Order: sequence, then C-alpha cells, then structure tokens
Amino acid sequence: MVLPTAISFVCGVILRLALFRSSLPDWLSTKTEVVTPLTSWGRAMEGLALHREGISPYSGDIFHESPLMLKILGFISRFSPNTINLIFVLLDIIQGMILLRIANTFGRHMLLRQATSVKNYHPDAKKNLLRKEDLMDLQFYVTVAFSFNPYSIATCLARSTAVFNNIILLLALYQMLKGNSFLSAVFVALAAYISMYPIILCVPVAVHYFLMSRKGGMHYTDPTAVVSYLQILGVTFVSLAIMLLFSMLFVGSWEFIPSTYGFILGVPDLTPNLGLFWYFFTEMFEHFRTFFICVFQINVVIYTIPLAIRLREHPTFLFYMLLYTIGIFKSYPGYGDVGLMFALLPLWKHVYQYMRNTFVTVCMFLVCTVFAPIQYYLWIYAGSANANFYFAISLAFSTAQILMATDLLFGFLKREFYLHNGDKHKLPDGTDAQIILDS
Amino acid sequence: MFHFQFTTVWNVSIDKPESFQHYHLFPKSLGDVLTTYKVKELHLSQTQGLWKHEKWGYPPEDAPPGDELWVWFQPHSGVDQTWADLVNALSGLFCASLNFMDSKSTVQPRWSFRPAGLASEFYSANSRFVRYSTLPREVVCTENLTPWKKLLPCGSKIGLASLLNSVKIYDGFYHSLGVHVRSVCQDTQCLTPATELKQTLTVVYDPTTNKNGKQDWSFQSMFDRTLQSQCPLADTRKIYVDVTTQETLPKFSLSPVPDFVLNQKRSGEERKIAVYQIGNHLSPSSLNLKAMYEEKLTFSNSSLPPVYANRFVTGYGLERGGVTCMIYNTMSSNTTVIFMETVPWFLRVYFSSLRIENDGKEIKPYKINFIPAKDRANPYQMELVFRLFANSVTKITYSFERAFLKWTEYPPDANHGFYVSSAVVSTVLPVASQYTATSQSVSLLEESFSDSSSSFFLRLHTETLLVSLPTPDFSMPYNVICLACTVVAIAFGSLHNLTTRDFTASDPSKRKGLVAKLKSFFKKEKESPENKPDSKEEEIPSQKDKDNSKSEEKDSKKKDGNSET
Repeated sequence: MVLPTAISFVCGVILRLALFRSSLPDWLSTKTEVVTPLTSWGRAMEGLALHREGISPYSGDIFHESPLMLKILGFISRFSPNTINLIFVLLDIIQGMILLRIANTFGRHMLLRQATSVKNYHPDAKKNLLRKEDLMDLQFYVTVAFSFNPYSIATCLARSTAVFNNIILLLALYQMLKGNSFLSAVFVALAAYISMYPIILCVPVAVHYFLMSRKGGMHYTDPTAVVSYLQILGVTFVSLAIMLLFSMLFVGSWEFIPSTYGFILGVPDLTPNLGLFWYFFTEMFEHFRTFFICVFQINVVIYTIPLAIRLREHPTFLFYMLLYTIGIFKSYPGYGDVGLMFALLPLWKHVYQYMRNTFVTVCMFLVCTVFAPIQYYLWIYAGSANANFYFAISLAFSTAQILMATDLLFGFLKREFYLHNGDKHKLPDGTDAQIILDS
Repeated sequence: MFHFQFTTVWNVSIDKPESFQHYHLFPKSLGDVLTTYKVKELHLSQTQGLWKHEKWGYPPEDAPPGDELWVWFQPHSGVDQTWADLVNALSGLFCASLNFMDSKSTVQPRWSFRPAGLASEFYSANSRFVRYSTLPREVVCTENLTPWKKLLPCGSKIGLASLLNSVKIYDGFYHSLGVHVRSVCQDTQCLTPATELKQTLTVVYDPTTNKNGKQDWSFQSMFDRTLQSQCPLADTRKIYVDVTTQETLPKFSLSPVPDFVLNQKRSGEERKIAVYQIGNHLSPSSLNLKAMYEEKLTFSNSSLPPVYANRFVTGYGLERGGVTCMIYNTMSSNTTVIFMETVPWFLRVYFSSLRIENDGKEIKPYKINFIPAKDRANPYQMELVFRLFANSVTKITYSFERAFLKWTEYPPDANHGFYVSSAVVSTVLPVASQYTATSQSVSLLEESFSDSSSSFFLRLHTETLLVSLPTPDFSMPYNVICLACTVVAIAFGSLHNLTTRDFTASDPSKRKGLVAKLKSFFKKEKESPENKPDSKEEEIPSQKDKDNSKSEEKDSKKKDGNSET
C-alpha cells in the first residue's frame, strides 16, 4: 500500500502547485465560504501593513489574529508571492504527513484497544472485529481524502490561516494517539490560543490519559482519576497562560484580547459565511442580542459533556466528534474546518456500513458547495437575488454537516452494540427484532 | 453668485466666559452656547448643492454638501462629552440634525483644521481640542434659514437680510449658510483679543433663467424684493459687484451707477469692484440693483483655478470597491497639499491599498496619519501631506470592503445607499487667481481688497460619495430565527437522543400503527363514562405505554429497514 499512498500524496501536491498558477487562488481568497474575517490572508496582510507603519493592528477592526500568528505571518509575508504560495503548499505537505502518521498510529492504537476489550464482546461479534489487513490501507484512504478533498484544496489555495489551526489540531491528535498526553495538552492549548474553541479538546485528552494509565478496575470518578484529569487540565491552562503572557509582552498591552477573543465571542462582524451566526444576528433585535450570543456560544461547547460521558471508552472518537461540533457551531466557520473533518473521516471506515443517511448527506454537500458561490454572486454582484438565498445554502450546509456527524455517531454506537451483544437478535417467535434507541 | 456677509465683532475675549454677560449686538442664544460648552472657535456650514470649482473658481467660504461642523475647545478635560453636549445644543439652535454627529462620524484632524483665529502655537499644534464632523445627508431648507436670520442684530426685517426670500433662495443651484466664530485682534497692536461672529450666505443662481436669453439680473428678479432699508446698527453697509469683465465680453451695465470702483490687487490677480453705499441709494425709492447685458449669453471656456479636485467611487458589486480622488494642479509651480478623508467604519479601508500616483509614478507622502476604525465606534481617518507637481494630475486611490450591518442600522430607504463625507484638500496658494475669500487676518471683505500678502490659504471640499451596502431581507426576522434555531435543534435533538438512550432489541409487533393507536384511544374515551373508577387506573399505565410505543413508533419510522444490517 505504500506505492498508491505515495502516488496520491504526490498527485495532491502537484494539483495544488498547478492550481496556484491559475486565477483560482485570487478568486478563492475573496470567497466568504473559504475565508472568514478570522482567517483571511488579505486581512492578515492589512494588519501587517499597519504594523509596519507603526499603527497597532489591533486598534482597528480588520485584523483578528493572535500576536503569535502576527509574528509568524510577518515572517512569511517577507517573501515574494510565489514563495508564499510554495510555503502554503509546504504547510499542506506537513499536514498530509501528520495525517499519514496519525493513520498509522491510529491503526495500531485501535488494534491494541480491541485486544484489551475483546473479552467483553459477544462471541458472535468476531466478524465485526477489526483486522490488521483492514487497517493497513488506512494510510491510503486518509491520503486520498486529504489530497483530493476540495475543501482542503480550497483552504490551501485561498491562503487561509486556518491551515495553522488544522496542523496544530492534527499534532494534538497525533500526540494523543502516540501516548504523549502532556504534549497533546500543550498543542490543545496552542490551538485554543489561536481560535478559542479547541479548549474543549482537553477533555478527550484527559480521558485518554486516564484510560492509558488505568490499572485494574479503576472507575472514572475515583480520586486518582480526578487527579489525572486535573493534571491534563493544569498543563493545558498553564501553557495557555504562558502563551497569553508572551503575547502581551510582544504587543505591549492587553489590547489584543478584545480584538481576538472578544471578537470570536461577541460576533460584531456579520460578514456572510456558511455558519448560523451571521444572518441570525443581522436580524436579531438589539434587546435580545446578548442573550442569544450567550446561547449560541454555550451551544458550541455544551455537547462536550454528554458526548464525553457517552464516549468515555473511546476518547479518539470523542476528539473527532468535538471537532465536528466546533466546526459546525463556531462563530466563523469556513472550509478549513470541513476539510479537516473529511480528511479524518476514513479513520472510521469500519463504521460506514452502519450509517443510514450517506446518500442524502453526500448530495447535500455537493449541492451546497456548488450553489453557495452562485447564490453569493447573484446577491452581491448580479443583484437579482437577496440575502435569503445565501442564508438558505448556509442552513443546508450546516444541516448536511450535522447529519454527517450524527449519522457517524449513530453508526459508531450501533457497531458497539453489535460488538457487545452480537448481531442476531431474535424474538421468541423466531422473527428478527428491531434495534432501536430506547431509554 | 450672491454672497452675503454679516460680521459682528465684539470686543470681549471668548476665553473669558464671565465677559459674556451683557449682550448688545452679539446674539445671546449663540453666546450662551459658546460659553457653556467652552468653545474657542466654531465653524458651522449648511450647504445644499455642489460648488463647481472648475467652472466657478473659489467661493468666499468653501463648504461641503450637507452640514459641516468643526470646533476648537478651550483646554479642559472630557472634550468628548462637551462635544456631544455641544452638538445637541446646536442642533436645537439651528434646527438641524447635528445631534447625529456622534463618535461614529467625529474625528480629530491633526493638520487640516488649524484654528482660523487667534491661538497660541502650542495650543494649535495639539489636536486634542479640535473636533470635526460632517453630515453629508443633511438637507438645508427654510427651517435652517430662519434661526440663522434670528442671530442677526437687525433681524430679517431691515437691512440686507430683508432681501433673503427663502422661496427664491432655495430655488437656486447652490446655497450655503455659514456661522463662523473666532478670536481676532481688537486693533493693529493686538494686545487684547475680540470675538468675531461672521454669518455668511452664498447663493448661486442659474444665469439663463431669463426668457430673452440674456443674463440680466436684478434684485427684483433674483429675490423678488428690493432693498428698502438699511440696518442702523451696522457700521458698514455696502454692496460690492465684481465688474472686472464689464468692458470686455460679456458687456453689461449696472443701474443705478455705483458710487465708485475699486481696484483689488492681489498677487497674480486684478479685479475691479464696484461699491455701493446703501444709504445713498435708498431715497426716493428702494434700491433695485440691476445689471443689463447687451448680448445673449454665450458659453466660453473659463480659466481653470490653480488647484481643484474630483472624487468618485470605483468598482462594482456590493462586496468591495475603491475610491479615487484626482487633484489637478494647473499652476506652473509645485505645491504641498494636506488631504484629509473621513470614511465611515462600515467601508473597511485597506491601508495597504492606499496609493498616490502622479503620471504613473508613485509619490511617497511626506507624512501619513491613518487611524483605523473600530466597528460602530469611530470612523477611518486619513490625512496625507504630499507634493503636487506643477501642471499635473495626482491620483489618490484606495480600496475598501463593504461591511454587512445589522438590520436596525440601515436608514429607512436602505437601497439608497450611505453617504461618505467630502474629502478636504488644504493648501497654500502663491497666487490669488479666482480667489475670493477674505484673508485670515481681517474681518471685512473690504479690508482684503488691498491685500499685499503672497500666500493664500485655500481649503477645498470634494464631492460626497454615495455607496450601497448589501442589505438583508428586512421582513424576515422571525423566519430567520425559526430556521436557524431549527437547524440547531436538529443537532441538539439527534445528539441528545444518541447520548441519553441505549440500543435495545424490541418486538415490532408489540407496537401499534398510528391509526390503530388513535382508534384505541377514542375507544377508551367512549368507555370511560361507563366505568370511571376502573378506567382511571387503566388509563394511566396505558398512557405510559402509549407514550413509549409512540416514541418507539417514531424511532422505528426513522430507522426503517434497519434491523437487517
């Protein structure tokens, strides 16, 4: 499987390099589905221009990157435009290589976990068990999913700074799978420093750390368990605090906090994107604005608790599910988050057979991806449509992502049920029983 | 063009508010406002129409379309609050919506609006005490003329102000009201300051309104009135007519004959001014100044002023655009200009796209002052100091991105667009060609006729811009909230279901179809009057069963064809 993987990887790189020569990057960097006010390269360049002139980029309302990103982007922007394109392709190469390592480590990790828990399984479930051969071609599928995924390609071409966020999240996942939970917690803190929401990913890292160091029949709420959770949480928050302190020293004051985290939380900029926030808060009465901002922001993070309780035995899948909830419900979503979800999807290809809505979901994704730029053009440039058309597409896209996430979770839980209880359930009279969700 | 100027000089210092106690000629309402809000200098202009610099030269007082207010305050703390209170008081005094000049449109110009009156060097170099704001959308009408006339010492019944017929004035092409308060010297030694209040009204009429094609005008035809009285409180009561072209084409003659003709000499420009002392012409009948032209009006090329500017919006679509300002220098010498722009926050200006070009070559400005905007707090402020080369056009361009506003922030006619205030070009001209303003060191028009200075301060305002922003659908708040919350509910419901419930095997035959359930429900209802006590106990468990089976029914409906996996 090494040769097809390498070929698809190289094809992906060549595809990106070739597309950088066309006019696609300039067009994509203006598309609001791909770039958001937080991740736009044009805005980053504007912030750097102000910084070079001696005006603080945080004094205006155009630049919303954190100070560390300001430094990194300042370093990148010194090169010529062609070199900058090459740098972004290089970042995608790094992303692809981390994904390869993740696929590798994930396969080993799943087999190990299966080996420890196979004694709890139903004897009939042997044919549902993962085999080494199935996991050998994980690398190939993950590489194909990343190299030819239009969302990842669009993010790379548009020079969106979401690639940095994605790389750090993938590094966090990789370190978690390798067993370095503390390093994973540091990466989670770094991802949270860049775009606030990944802070909730410290929960799967904490659960994973506990599971790996569990001896005997220790329960999740034992004092030793709580101590291990607190260790991970402590590492996360301490690294986050250190990063914030360094940023303050770099900028000279705390004025970057309202521009970055205050911006993510308060949603003052209502630029259209494929999320739920913009039109909702355009048409919101001023009186209720604060209340609904709180509701929507809580909605992003609240799914951590039930998902963590339900998926406590599977922290990797919990990590992936939380990536979904962040990517769908965050205040300024873009194709960067969607691309990350699709790139990691082949890791759970053993769950596909239990999913129910794949056809509908795929159709919805295709339709929304094609329609979104058309409706935007009709509204903004042609003047023959209005904002409702684009809003409808954003709703449909969010619904497609939600269907995919919940379908995947359903399939995963169904597979677990079959592993533990076998897949033949017969009623007293010999007919097949129905497997349903019941309290 | 008609320009009225009413100047009141009061020998008290505006820095001493206790001297503003006893009012004689100075209007009390304005004086109270000035002292309460610690004003040192105030300049308010209310204009309707655009002054065409290329065709008409320079006006005595240059004003942008709409309302413009700039104020220098006495040094004190809390200037922002004082400014907010001042604009509210002025909006009541002048019947204009000046209270909309809040922080969203107010800037502190660093170099462009230095004090026009007496001020110390240290004070005027600090822009902490100046505030500048414009309202380009304001309409000026009779309601603004009336309070302006009320400030005059003689009111509107006698004197030159009696000519001001609002019906005729607002028929004109351009009209501009101005109120300017500043400190001036009391005498040539300048030991004590005085306060000068200058009220100006500039009106431009279209010349070819006569039926016979000639440019004849008179007080009667322009104002529908004649001058019947003169203000006894005024020291100077004069009418000046520019008769420089009286002997050349187009030839015209004035009636009655002027008292004498002055020669106005300014560097580079000579003008002949006919002077009328009003008192000499009021008897026996009122003064109806007439000009009669000999030939019909022919349009010819007028000479261009030394510096003029044009500004316009570029680009298409509602997402982004650009602004280009062309400044023309027709003199044969270089000059330095200060270019000031105030852009509202919702047109996000990209500083990296700001470019100054002359004939294709990029010009680096001497100084740049760029203050980026904060959403809904303050506007973009840009001041550039650069050189205008002789006989050339300099182009300033920058691009912006249009923001998406909340639905309550759009004006009633949302698709009309939003106005961007004029840019201000300030320069010092070496020649006074087409320059009609009074020099800064004197108060009256007459005193600047024999001006021997060699530099003339000029301030130009460009056109205002009209920019459309993308609008949401204003009829949709309820629908949007419902639909967005529905999508959130889909996620919440599914995740809630999946995380709080476990898979179990169940018997499909134990669950009834929906129709059968309804039938059994109604059957129980029929039976209940007959055996109430028993049926009560029965109903409760059956209700529970019904609920369970109902939810099972829903789930099974969702998961059809599921048991065979």
